[in-house]
Amino acid sequence: MEFKWKRLGENTLFLIPSIILTATLGIYPLIWMLRYMFYDYAGYGEALFVGLDNFSRLLRDELFWESVGNTFIFAGGKLLLTLPLSLLLAVILNGRLRGGNLLRGIYFMPTVISTAVISVVFYNIFNSYNGMVNTLLMKLHLVSQPVDWLGPKHAMLTVILVAVWGAVGNYMLLFLAGLQSIPQDLYESAAIDGANAGRRFWNITLPMLAPVAQMVVMLAIIASLKGYESIMVITEGGPIGKTEVMYLYLYKLLFPVSTGSPVVQQLGYGSAVGFASAIIVGGITGLYFFLSRKMSKVY
Amino acid sequence: MLIKGVEGMQKKWFGLGLSIMLAAGIAGCGGNNNGNSSAATEAPGTAAPSADAGGNTAAGEPVQLKYWTDDRHDQEYIKELINTFNETNGENIQVELTVMSENYAQSVDIAFSSNQAPDVLRLKSGNASEFVKKGYLAPIDGYLNEDIKTKFGSLQLDNVNRFDGKLYSLANTGLTLRLVYNKDLFAKAGIESPPASLQEMVDDAKKITEAGKSEGIYGFALNFKSPKSAFDRSIREILSLSGYQGLGFDMKTGKFDFAPYSEVIEYFKQMYEDRSILPGAETLDIDPLRAQFAAGKIGMYLSFSTEPGVYKDQFPTEINWAGALAPTLDGQIKGTSEIVSAGTWLGISAKSAQQDAAWKFMEYMYGDDVLKTYHEKGFGIAVVPHIVEQAQNPDIKGMEGFLVGEHDSLWPASPTVTPEGTNYADAFFKYMLSGGDAQAITTDLNTRYNDALSKAVEKGEVTVKPDAAFDPSKPQGE
Repeated sequence: MEFKWKRLGENTLFLIPSIILTATLGIYPLIWMLRYMFYDYAGYGEALFVGLDNFSRLLRDELFWESVGNTFIFAGGKLLLTLPLSLLLAVILNGRLRGGNLLRGIYFMPTVISTAVISVVFYNIFNSYNGMVNTLLMKLHLVSQPVDWLGPKHAMLTVILVAVWGAVGNYMLLFLAGLQSIPQDLYESAAIDGANAGRRFWNITLPMLAPVAQMVVMLAIIASLKGYESIMVITEGGPIGKTEVMYLYLYKLLFPVSTGSPVVQQLGYGSAVGFASAIIVGGITGLYFFLSRKMSKVY
Repeated sequence: MLIKGVEGMQKKWFGLGLSIMLAAGIAGCGGNNNGNSSAATEAPGTAAPSADAGGNTAAGEPVQLKYWTDDRHDQEYIKELINTFNETNGENIQVELTVMSENYAQSVDIAFSSNQAPDVLRLKSGNASEFVKKGYLAPIDGYLNEDIKTKFGSLQLDNVNRFDGKLYSLANTGLTLRLVYNKDLFAKAGIESPPASLQEMVDDAKKITEAGKSEGIYGFALNFKSPKSAFDRSIREILSLSGYQGLGFDMKTGKFDFAPYSEVIEYFKQMYEDRSILPGAETLDIDPLRAQFAAGKIGMYLSFSTEPGVYKDQFPTEINWAGALAPTLDGQIKGTSEIVSAGTWLGISAKSAQQDAAWKFMEYMYGDDVLKTYHEKGFGIAVVPHIVEQAQNPDIKGMEGFLVGEHDSLWPASPTVTPEGTNYADAFFKYMLSGGDAQAITTDLNTRYNDALSKAVEKGEVTVKPDAAFDPSKPQGE
């Protein structure tokens, strides 16, 4: 078989852009981070080699571990609400529903709107002093004084609800694609055999959807564990750290956001936190993949 | 076999190509750094081939200067000044103004690392020391004449505009901090004057809330979304006027001591427990706070002298409001209200090839008329003594309460350190909201901040000179 030099040249040409991007935006920063996590480095001046000091600091850093705990609460809450809701909507819209396409568009819309915009809108909906939710509740005489939706007690719930609102449409669409790939004749055979709708869902839809669901859940887990953008806009991790999630904590170390006084970047320690965070997310995703391995079996 | 051979060769080629790309990518980034290093080591003031000492060009081409600022409030006036300078400087120097909207410090970083740095930069107390440490700025000592030394001499401050004995900028304006209060709400609650002590502040906030709660009016608020921002505009001033450094540093011992800070927090905690603070203030940013104040929903808060301008342009309001000195711990004024963000305005890039021309522009900007008008237009409060003497008061509603008076002064800079764990503002805010052991929190903060200070001193990042004779009523000495 003749070696096709021309083909190789073409292939390489097509690969060059992505190789350049991967190397400069992916691999180089990764190497940079892997190096600096062993240094005390503020982004300027001399980087001081400190060995494993950043990791011993990480182990005793209560703020980081609190943020890990908050991440699990946030991700758990978001997944528990988002996935069943997405699947339910997908099943409903997969049927012959009048205006189904319009509803799909509406449900998907939050996915294409900027997270910052969504978050500002939700801040105005939930804020305690003149937010729409409190105004409505008070007009209906359901509460006598404003509920502090963004206060220490309820802030996590509020940011979870915002995250669910932003994510449902996206996963709904993925589930919908999975549902539409299930052969109709399976349902027809089951119907002839006398299976009712519930049984068809349980015995056909769910098993046939399993490979897609496995991927959707994995994507949802990763997105939930890494999500922090809306939290940054709505609460900035507050009040008193109640909504500080892992990647927001990391972001603040690398790009200090406090507007009060000069704050110093901690690129060395931030790199160590970034590494640990990636290990946590990767570990959970790997564990999920292992536990759900049967789902990938195509019937 | 042949297929395997071809596949193997393809893999090799692919691997080789990938290695070359990676090496090129990494070397490219490394090369960029090298480029920076070599550029950074060029002698400051090395003139461009076409520039002479005065900034004029042999071929008659203009000397182009870039001036970067993140100030937006004064840009029309600055544009006007630059146009005048460009037309009248007589040495064919042309200044181009760039007003950054956000991320100024990051933009400056990128500009310096890519050799596109501006010639003249706007400096603030929050970025000056970092810019000096990064080697972005050129000292200006060599340019100072006797006139400038006389006029600005009293405002050469270590770790503010002077680092390691070298001067990098000159003062123009500063920010005073005041209690901002709604006079109508005070009157409605039967209160005659703004609080002089923290206990009065707590009582007044309670009275205002009781009188106005049914209409959504509360006695007090701060932008607690960022506790550091909130406390650094309130407790900082309360403490400095009470006789203590406002960021927890003890000038006399040269160490951190948060005991006075924890005393102030008790009063804030009391207001929170009394429900005298606007609900939702825990996640309130400064602009939504101002919007609520402008709508007459907040009795008082503390903030900078930027507020009159804000209520003139950004949140025009009909409410009857004023600024007053912050309350003190016990109602007695034992210190002075710290003027912040003073001591820096313009600086010259260490990488500029046109440093002489840049100084010419800087000298023009620091002219008496320019600084006087800057104050009179209300863009900032003049702190340079000879300008303070000759300038008229700005005609902006509310500004009279913020003008520099007998109880205002500059304080020596306190060291900035980054301790492990929670910062003082977050730690005290947590105590304010959820309680705890104030003594233990204070001790823990003292330990962590002093550890970080020792490390920073060891690394040569900061220098500390304890001043046992420090007098908070005369922070700069006699």
